[in-house]
Amino acid sequence: MHRPAFGAILVVISALAVAACGSSSSSSSSSYSGKTIKLGADISLTGGGGVYGPQQKNGIQVAVDMINANGGVNGAQLSVDVQDDKSDQQTSAQVTQTFIQQGQVVGIIGPTLSNSAVAAHPVAQSLKTPMLAPSTTGQHIVGDCPYKDGCTYIFRDSLGEATAIPNNVKYAVSQIHPKTAVLFYANDDKFSSDGAVIFKQALADNGVNLPADGVQQFSKNETDFKSYVTTALSKTPDVLTISSLGGIPAKIMIEARKQGYTGPILGGNGLNTYQVSQQAGAQGKGAQSGSAYWVGADTSANKTFVDAYKAKFKDQSGNPQLPDQIAAQAYTAVLIYAEAAKNANLTFSDTAKDRDSLRAAMEKVSIDSPLGQFSFTSQHDVKQKVWINAFDGNGGFVNLTSVDIS
Amino acid sequence: MDFFIQLFTDPLGFYSAHQLLISQVGINALLTLSMYITLNCGMLTLANVGFMAVGAYISVLLGLNTSVPFPAAMLIGGLAATLLAVPIGLPVLRLSGIFLAIATIGFGQVVVGVILNVPATGEGQGLINIEASPATAINYIFGGLVVVAFVLWRLRGTRLGQAWAAIREDEVAAEAHGINVARYRLIAFVLGAFVAGCAGGLDAHLNFIIAPSEYQFTRVVGVLVFAVAGGFTNVVGPIIGATVLTSLPEILRFARDYRDLINGVVLILVILFLPRGIAGGRRPGGRGRLMALWRWPRSGPATS
Amino acid sequence: MTGRLLTQLAAQAPSFYLQQGLNGIFSGSVYALFAVGYTLVFGVLDILNLAHSAVFMAGAVLALIFFANFGLPFWLAVVLAIAICGAIGYGLDLVAFRPLRRRGAPHISSLITSIAVALIFVSLAENNFGANSQRYPASVAPDASFHVGGVVIDQLSILILLVTLGLMAVLAVVIRRTRPGRAIRAVAENPRAAALMGINVDRTIALTLVISSALGGLAGILYGLSAHDISPYIGRDQVELKGLAVIVVGGMGSITGAVVAGYLLGLIEVVALVTLGSNVRTGVAFAVLFLALVLFPSGLFGRRRERRT
Repeated sequence: MHRPAFGAILVVISALAVAACGSSSSSSSSSYSGKTIKLGADISLTGGGGVYGPQQKNGIQVAVDMINANGGVNGAQLSVDVQDDKSDQQTSAQVTQTFIQQGQVVGIIGPTLSNSAVAAHPVAQSLKTPMLAPSTTGQHIVGDCPYKDGCTYIFRDSLGEATAIPNNVKYAVSQIHPKTAVLFYANDDKFSSDGAVIFKQALADNGVNLPADGVQQFSKNETDFKSYVTTALSKTPDVLTISSLGGIPAKIMIEARKQGYTGPILGGNGLNTYQVSQQAGAQGKGAQSGSAYWVGADTSANKTFVDAYKAKFKDQSGNPQLPDQIAAQAYTAVLIYAEAAKNANLTFSDTAKDRDSLRAAMEKVSIDSPLGQFSFTSQHDVKQKVWINAFDGNGGFVNLTSVDIS
Repeated sequence: MDFFIQLFTDPLGFYSAHQLLISQVGINALLTLSMYITLNCGMLTLANVGFMAVGAYISVLLGLNTSVPFPAAMLIGGLAATLLAVPIGLPVLRLSGIFLAIATIGFGQVVVGVILNVPATGEGQGLINIEASPATAINYIFGGLVVVAFVLWRLRGTRLGQAWAAIREDEVAAEAHGINVARYRLIAFVLGAFVAGCAGGLDAHLNFIIAPSEYQFTRVVGVLVFAVAGGFTNVVGPIIGATVLTSLPEILRFARDYRDLINGVVLILVILFLPRGIAGGRRPGGRGRLMALWRWPRSGPATS
Repeated sequence: MTGRLLTQLAAQAPSFYLQQGLNGIFSGSVYALFAVGYTLVFGVLDILNLAHSAVFMAGAVLALIFFANFGLPFWLAVVLAIAICGAIGYGLDLVAFRPLRRRGAPHISSLITSIAVALIFVSLAENNFGANSQRYPASVAPDASFHVGGVVIDQLSILILLVTLGLMAVLAVVIRRTRPGRAIRAVAENPRAAALMGINVDRTIALTLVISSALGGLAGILYGLSAHDISPYIGRDQVELKGLAVIVVGGMGSITGAVVAGYLLGLIEVVALVTLGSNVRTGVAFAVLFLALVLFPSGLFGRRRERRT
């Protein structure tokens, strides 16, 4: 913890609190009152990303309701049109285009999956509309993207696997000193195969041997992992690593435990949602991942978020639901847009100009969020603390440690 | 409803809002026509999406690594699919009915398997196509669609078209009349592969990424649905089927979570109440002999 | 390349191969159970029922909903789910197949309506269950496993194996020896002749769909138990495609063939994984299918049938 930064955070919190408590009398903002700031969310509510999209929708809803209930953005109401891209690249690109050309949104949140991002982001870029990815952790999503027109309108508030995985591996190695590892990954999904590349590098950097035949690859549609697990365990690994999405990580964990594996399990961002922890159940206990969020983080911005989330969403038995990283990042995405819109001097008549002003304002955003003090890097990326969390074996998480990134 | 209101009151706005959708309609129409070619000759083959993948990867790899301009790269991709179709078609076309359908599904899966294991294809991560240009792709797509539809329409009167029709109507009789059934079936298969391969190249020019997950079983099933729902007794049916069913999810956007459900219901209604497909109108019967061939090759009709 | 592979293979303990063999057999159980329902309908109706994968999913999802949301005992949840899947089979015939049969519509139309029904069920599941992946609570099924000579065998897989084989035996007896079973075989052979013999063809076809769908629902539940994966998408893609491969290799319409081919596919996949590596597994299954079709056009166990119209 950096003590000196604490004072600065307090200042920001109070500033945000004052702003959020409806200081609609701010002079530059009188033109905002009675207007609506239109955003779109292009996320995966169904299909492979359906494990994550619903939490994003919840996070967005909490933020929008909170902001509007507190006087909106300088008096303007915030509206986010949430559309499902079905975890499909083409649908994702189409939804993005329709939002921009027909919905006349000034900014977009999405997509959920890195796979879809590669299809949708160039569309937003070519139509000069800001697009903020809340959960795409793959490589080359922002900054060094390979698109012809660049990606000056593309941002993300999700922590890249390039930061999360190495820190997770490093911490695990410092605790358990493994000599050999095996790796499971889905080879037909960008997120998973990016994660695999990073895992390989991180294991090598930390002196852990990953034998070539200890790498098990499969399709993201694979249903049966028994024989993959048997082959992997025959290498008697000290640590088992998984880079995959949706229901697959939990299935591998369960199968590995069934076949007698008792060692540690490391995963990627695919693990950072309650859905996966619940599915893995007791067999998932201890599976750890680097995360951008810890629900128990002791900051006022996080408490505000957690309380609002718990008040709004209940599980099947009526108990309040806790937000996960996916929800926190989507919530933060709305806060970022709100803060940028506040400072962007929107005209509400010239959409193209508003998109440009919003983009410029986003680069300067500095807010306190559940993810911590948030501002974009010059690459429109995230630089933030990494929380090393683990499944608690009961559908939840425990925090093991956190690593400050300087 | 907004969808139609805008279509008629603000066609320019509609075009800019749905340019990608419209392009996708064109791609799907081309794919459906490629399936129509083989259906029209009495074969249910489901290799189209496999050939599409071949065309897409070849054209993108050419675009990224050489200075071959786009339309040429697309045609080379189409030709590559055509060349591949010959060795595939020779053994496979000896099968018929459901066995032919499943063998061609197998081919599609093998193509995906190969893509996943050849480093030049970017394997599972796919290839980012920086040469993609949705704005120009739409012109090529609809240019191509017009050409393919026109050629297929004109083919009906030719010797080739008549041979296909004869094989579709009655394979045994066609053989008896001296038509080389195997050869004409292969021509249909290869031509279908060419159209699908070109559609793949066009699709890749529209999208900024191509990845093996785009060429799965579900996609070829979708194309079959377009063909049957649209009606495959003439060239118009497949185009209408692809247009209506590709736009339907967008038209139904207001239904949000229930889109797919309504989609399914509409599909059932179309098949139940428009026996000749959307384009065929509601004229029951009349297909008699022609349709009898669409039974899987087993003994006896299944009707009581 | 081959040399390295052989060294690797030789380095493995015998228990490794035994374990992989068991893995193949256990996976094969689900393939077999899924494919039997598939092939039964094909045998009688000559149509590919692509809604079978949705019924498979519905079985798994309904059992979980009955258990977790309604608090029913698990056995009752399973029985209810299977019963509802059977009813779905009846509804499927009524809505998607019978009207087309009456009209003498081509089989390709029935294929499309079955796809549409699958679309509807997946959408219903997405809306009422959620698009995420869940599991049955660990308490509902035996999850102990025992170790014999380096091989791990879990009780659940044994149970699934026994249920599969037992059900197939029962089904074989029903089809061969009972009155409705004989009616099903008669309709499969020739519906017109069956009708002349006084068999109610519509009712027999409906019965076939009920049996097939109940089996499909059970297959879904057993899959959910063994794979710990219940979502609206479990029947799609892999299961559906592998089911197709199994019924083709087993000879369309042959129940014994489907069971044998189901286990065979489970084993082939394991052999491919062990010898060729994990990255080629999916491709290999279909390359085998492709070759099998070209070499044995009627399937390995199929009666020799006229291939051409």
